[in-house]
Amino acid sequence: MPMVLLNCDKDIPERQKHIYLKAPNESTREFLPIANAATIPGTLSERGCAFCGAKLVIGGVLKDTIQMIHGPIGCAYDTWHTKRYPTDNGHFNMKYVWSTDMKESHVVFGGEKRLEKSINEAFDEMPEIKRMIVYTTCPTALIGDDIKAVSKKVMSERPEVDIFTVECPGFAGVSQSKGHHVLNIGWINEKVDTLEKEITSEYTMNFIGDFNIQGDTQLLQTYWDKLGIQVVSHFTGNGTYDDLRCMQQAKLNVVNCARSSGYIANELKKRYGIPRLDIDSWGFSYMEEGVRKICAFFGIEERGEQLIAEERAKWKPKLDWYKERLKGKKMAIWTGGPRLWHWTKSVENDLGIEVVAMSSKFGHEEDFEKVIARGREGTYYIDDGNELEFFEIIDLVKPDVIFTGPRVGELVKKMHIPYINGHGYHNGPYMGFEGFVNLARDTYNAIYNPLRHLAAVDIREGAVDSNLLFREAV
Amino acid sequence: MPCEISDKSVAEVKIVSKKRAGIINPMYDCQPAGAQYAGIGVKDSIPLVHGGQGCTMFVRLLFAQHFKENFDIASTSLHEESAVFGGTRRVEEGVMVLARRYPDLRIIPIITTCSTEVIGDDIEGSINVCERALKKEFPDRQIYLAPVHTPSFKGSQVSGYDECVKSMIKTVAKKGAPTGKLNVFPGWVNPGDITQLKYYLSEMGVDATLFMDTEDFDSPMMPDKSIQTHGRTTIEDLQDSANAKATLALARYEGAAAAAYLEEAHNVPNHQINTPYGIKNTDDMLRKISEITGKPIPDSLVRERGIALDAMADLAHMFFANKKVAIFGHADLVLGLAQFCLEVELEPVLLLIGDDQGSKYKKDPRIEELKNSVHFDMEIVHNADLWDLERRIKKGEIKLDLIMGHSKGRYIAIDANIPMVRVGFPTFDRAGLYRKPTIGYKGAMELAEMTANAMFAHMEYTKDREWILNTW
Repeated sequence: MPMVLLNCDKDIPERQKHIYLKAPNESTREFLPIANAATIPGTLSERGCAFCGAKLVIGGVLKDTIQMIHGPIGCAYDTWHTKRYPTDNGHFNMKYVWSTDMKESHVVFGGEKRLEKSINEAFDEMPEIKRMIVYTTCPTALIGDDIKAVSKKVMSERPEVDIFTVECPGFAGVSQSKGHHVLNIGWINEKVDTLEKEITSEYTMNFIGDFNIQGDTQLLQTYWDKLGIQVVSHFTGNGTYDDLRCMQQAKLNVVNCARSSGYIANELKKRYGIPRLDIDSWGFSYMEEGVRKICAFFGIEERGEQLIAEERAKWKPKLDWYKERLKGKKMAIWTGGPRLWHWTKSVENDLGIEVVAMSSKFGHEEDFEKVIARGREGTYYIDDGNELEFFEIIDLVKPDVIFTGPRVGELVKKMHIPYINGHGYHNGPYMGFEGFVNLARDTYNAIYNPLRHLAAVDIREGAVDSNLLFREAV
Repeated sequence: MPCEISDKSVAEVKIVSKKRAGIINPMYDCQPAGAQYAGIGVKDSIPLVHGGQGCTMFVRLLFAQHFKENFDIASTSLHEESAVFGGTRRVEEGVMVLARRYPDLRIIPIITTCSTEVIGDDIEGSINVCERALKKEFPDRQIYLAPVHTPSFKGSQVSGYDECVKSMIKTVAKKGAPTGKLNVFPGWVNPGDITQLKYYLSEMGVDATLFMDTEDFDSPMMPDKSIQTHGRTTIEDLQDSANAKATLALARYEGAAAAAYLEEAHNVPNHQINTPYGIKNTDDMLRKISEITGKPIPDSLVRERGIALDAMADLAHMFFANKKVAIFGHADLVLGLAQFCLEVELEPVLLLIGDDQGSKYKKDPRIEELKNSVHFDMEIVHNADLWDLERRIKKGEIKLDLIMGHSKGRYIAIDANIPMVRVGFPTFDRAGLYRKPTIGYKGAMELAEMTANAMFAHMEYTKDREWILNTW
């Protein structure tokens, strides 16, 4: 029985179609979990909304852009201070959020004037900032405010500014995934090929689908610098608005997160003939493969081999130290979607960790095809997992560590299971060679944390072997 | 600090509104967020938020950031077809799914959002449908469904909290035999404050119920792996709120609507007092409890008061006097902290309170009291955002020695290099603050000491007369 009906789901039997237990010699296509489908109300799903997919995940990463959220205050408040994407200009993107603070009168009479005033105020208050993204939210979409018209009016009155609009209310689609799509397609339609920048290398690429979580982008940038490759634009880690208007100038699109940003790479290929190359940036073997593919495209294989050799010499011994101690440990991954297939094989190959359960919030069926192909037999693959399912799965697979968000991390802590922040990381970056050693170190520190073993001790029962795992000097 | 003598004989307290239309860095979340906070305060409650999934997911994350705990809150997962055809079916499905999968569930506050209020979903109608369905499927269970109307385009998390407390009381309170107990509405405070209040009530021998009792929002890791993170106020407590001897409302904007409702609908006398920040407000609270219950204030509390005064006296005129402070956050907190500041000689020159209740604030007796008692110019900005503070600092309109407020304002302090005391909600960038009381004598002492330590650390980092502490 490859599709699994958990006990907690007996009253919502349709959940069986979303949970797959991989067995030997099966056609995975036959048993693919249903994904990207509407959540059952009241299930305590982990999903967010389409608006946050656009603002929080992609647009809000940009380091020089005002994020104007047209709606009531909550949409701005909630998508602020929930991410760890620093920038090299003092984290402008994480410090501020803007809202039109829509009130009842605007619902009744329309909020366009309020939006226009708020946009002008924002530029007036921070005169050094000239770029803005305006987002609709549920109520402003429902009342039909024309944010594009308002933005055009401001742009005609302020020729030095440029504004991009994203019409993606929270109720659109079934998850944050819809917001990724809307922003991708809107950007290529309206902003790509509206500017040209200076090209300084014959090797140029866009790096797409990496959001500089704890400095991922900046770490990988050191590789591209060594290889002599000019990154025309970062979509969108540590990125700028204007660089993204120049995406058409690159010779190659390198895609890390295919789920959030594959759309724009496909369109760049269709419209400008720029090839798309997908890589995995987490893990030694994947990173090596990625560097080799990119260098092969540009015909600079020797530079690539030299980079790999240097990085391996520096980091492989450290990785192996952790591998020795993490071998055979069991991990669960409950994150957005793509990290399931980015990580399952890399932690297995590089660290000897077995991934025993994975749940995706917003992955599509193609994400499940990838993760099931790469993942282990006997592992659970779950679409849109909810809280009671997590409890039951934990009982079934007994993970040593769970890669998930901070809130679920607090939940599993009560069950004496350590978590690693699978979204914002504990102490990253986690991409690249150095990054994967960071991931290994954090995983080791989590699993070898004495507290969770002490938590299992009941002091009323007299002294028993508390099964402390002893840490060693690195 | 050079000697500064104010040449003005009369100090002015100015009340102004934020001048901009939009907001740059909000102080508050929206109404449904506050409603969710109230909704998790009851045992065997899972709030069901009728709106997009983000309205729930991010608020759960916010609570997790502040308390370092997980709380169960469900969503109706509103999508396009509901936006077009209405979403009441999703409420009904959500209620039934919760009832079936959570056998201990006893109340579901159904919390609306901006989208479902704009669509105009009939929540009361849905509740009728659900009640019939629940009765049929679970004849032996009673699950209360409380309608909580909290469109995000009105008020803020503060009014949303107030609304949800009121709705739950209204839905469950039932006239019965008098209990002789005291209802206490503490407002939006931390588990550490609840512990402190309970201690006072127990020392005075007063049988009281707290709405909401959030003490277990600080919950343990147990050998049996049980999860004990939930509100402690029970359905029975909510039912019996109608039968109490009296109500004590400690916050004017957080829970006061429910207290007023109990007086109106069930004749429970309501006593609205100042939130007990600082010594005098705590004196007033204990005297009021004594007056209502006839129980004397015990020696133990006289002693606690003395300990607090003893500690605060070491700090006030040596370190705090003449220091200019800005305070932002919930109005009940900010006005209470301003009163506390005056007691320890700090000068709260700028108070920022939020949302759109300007006219309501003007009637607040605490503002009147501040007007009569301050000896320096004070500005109170309502409908404020955090840019109101940052802009004043950046433009040099204001010189501050200290900022008091929640973690959303952390970068103002970091970038301007001003010591900051984290207080209010949320305080995710400091460890364990939810466990520390800020109200009562002990809370006043902890606040004063936290303030002093923030200043001391700042003196050391900036090498500003740090040697003073060599002999303190």
